Amino acid sequence: MPLGRVLQYVAIVLFMIFLAFPLLFLFTTAFKSQRELQSPDPQLLPAQWNLDNFTAAIDRANLIQAAGNSLIVALVTTLIVVAVSLPAAYALARFRTRLRKLATGWILLSQVFPFILIIVPLYLMLQPLGLGNSLGGLVVVYVVWSLPFALWMLQGYVASIPVDLEEAGAMDGAPKWRVLVSIVLPLLAPGLVATSLFAFIGSWNEFFFALVLIKDEALQTLPQRLALFVGAEGQVQLGQLAAASLLAAIPSLLFFALIQRRLTSGLLSGAVKG
Amino acid sequence: MHRTPRAAMTLAAGALLLTGCAFGGGQAPTATETTDPTEEVTLTFQSLAFQDATIAATESIVDSWNSEHPETQIDLVQGSWDNVHDQLVTQFQGGDAPDIIHNEASDMAGFAHDGYLADLTPFLSEELRGDVSEGVWSTVTANDQIFAAPTIMQSYVAFANTAAFEAAGVEVPTGESLAWEDLRSIAQELTADGTYGLGWGLKSPTAPFMNLALGEEGTFFEVDPEGEATIEIGEGELAIPETVHAMAYEDQSLDPVTLTQTGADVLPGFLGGSYGMYIGGSFLAQQIADTAPEGFEWTVLPPLAGSAGAAQGTSPQTLSVSADSEYVDRAAAFIDYYMQAENLAAVGEGDCLIPTTGAARDALATATEGQTGWAEMLASGAVLEAAPFQLAVNYPQWKDQYATPAFQQYLSNAITLEQLSTQLTEGWDSIQ
Repeated sequence: MPLGRVLQYVAIVLFMIFLAFPLLFLFTTAFKSQRELQSPDPQLLPAQWNLDNFTAAIDRANLIQAAGNSLIVALVTTLIVVAVSLPAAYALARFRTRLRKLATGWILLSQVFPFILIIVPLYLMLQPLGLGNSLGGLVVVYVVWSLPFALWMLQGYVASIPVDLEEAGAMDGAPKWRVLVSIVLPLLAPGLVATSLFAFIGSWNEFFFALVLIKDEALQTLPQRLALFVGAEGQVQLGQLAAASLLAAIPSLLFFALIQRRLTSGLLSGAVKG
Repeated sequence: MHRTPRAAMTLAAGALLLTGCAFGGGQAPTATETTDPTEEVTLTFQSLAFQDATIAATESIVDSWNSEHPETQIDLVQGSWDNVHDQLVTQFQGGDAPDIIHNEASDMAGFAHDGYLADLTPFLSEELRGDVSEGVWSTVTANDQIFAAPTIMQSYVAFANTAAFEAAGVEVPTGESLAWEDLRSIAQELTADGTYGLGWGLKSPTAPFMNLALGEEGTFFEVDPEGEATIEIGEGELAIPETVHAMAYEDQSLDPVTLTQTGADVLPGFLGGSYGMYIGGSFLAQQIADTAPEGFEWTVLPPLAGSAGAAQGTSPQTLSVSADSEYVDRAAAFIDYYMQAENLAAVGEGDCLIPTTGAARDALATATEGQTGWAEMLASGAVLEAAPFQLAVNYPQWKDQYATPAFQQYLSNAITLEQLSTQLTEGWDSIQ
């Protein structure tokens, strides 16, 4: 193997280690005792692996219930965002009307508002609708918040699919819906996956809206429960926080693993169709 | 904007009371009741308790209250310190804040000025009113109204590695207080190869400097009842930063690296013997007790004292009642119950913070007798009082934009004491 190729592999391995280090640190911290965490001579690996932080975290923060709430909110948000943004993105990319520039400008502009600016009017609107302290209200907020960027992402993917392919399908006599389902959708699969991931992870990790909107403990989401491990004056229950964060990351990783397979099949089927 | 309905309710309560007297009583509310005492209600109480022991103590208080008071049930909601201010801003605007709110005095002062908090003056018992020092009451009083009940408070204390003292042949100071000059000379004696006499996590230096300045007659601000404040920086205000600077750069008895760290960051170094002394909030005693290595010997030194004694400013944790609550009297009654000596002592013990009432401090002294550091920490609680900055309306903005950067530059030896003074003064003037 040429030296250049070897160096490339070494660089990739080092980069992977660099990227994986925070996760490794999180993993090992979750298994350390409080005494080890305060040690002036910190070690990467715990002297004795124990599950105390996990049991304490689950007990203190009721993580299972919170994970269920987060999962419901994130999945419903993702479904709605994809369902709404797909036709809208297609229209935005393909139909070049005067409104297009205005719409894309507004989409970009909507991303610059800080949360604190919009949370008060949003809160005042949701209260009379009975959505103030409910997972439904949180879904509405997350959909509204995720939609502009999802739309922006997806219309880029649509625009990257050559119109010639659609025209060729039409020339072969396929009706419009058939062209969309058999040609455009498979090619758009990577974009849909990326958009879904964006919507899912954004909703899964969001803290501030949930903090303000959800007061009932039974409805609180994972990020709200994770915040319980951080106190005033910089106090942190580091071991429990690491354990809880590790558990909280599992559904995201599973969702990513699941959807990544779709991504691969979508790419392949797109290639065959192309 | 919330005062009119509240005033109307108070008048209505007064009228009902008179009616009740005239016609032989019945269920009329008394002077300190705004609702029918037999009506069954549920109030929300958002607690920010953090340590496991404090969470357990809070749950225990709520459980015992609920069993003794079937007509007023408390629904305990566990909140978090993270973003609590923004959460409350939104909930107050939406008229949907919890009935009973846990926070700290300096953060609630702004809400009180905006009329979002009920006046607790008529509701808190005389016994409670008399058992908290006037200095502490002033941290929760605005426009002659008590907007919160102060519960527990933090003081800055010096922790000492007694084994390091012994090794250096230095006597561990005792007595009612420890002068800053003495702390400085002890730090010099403890400084040896590779170890410093003192570590102090001053990444966020404004609050400790502002609070400790009271011991040097440094008040920084003069505040009128409306919260309008004028700044004055003199020797008293600059004494503590100057001492820290001198210890770091002249004596080299204070590790300058710690000046860029948080208190929690410095703790492992203290436990590992890198610093003979360590200044931090009293709550850190909990972490030292829990995480110190086997055989680590430590204590808390007497309260630090300047030219004006051991006075310190404090921003106590508080319980307030939302002005929008329909049951202010019931909520206040729960607060009174929460502040009973045993309850407050249990909460303070869990957080290693000092109860505001004398009775709770006595109960805590009894409960912690013989435990390392508690006697000294409780002694420091007796001299805590309000610092004027806590009632200055624009203080949070000044702190973030001007004071903290200026103190940090000074501690990093980038600017002089005069430049520090100028930046603090001009920064305040620029936001008026």
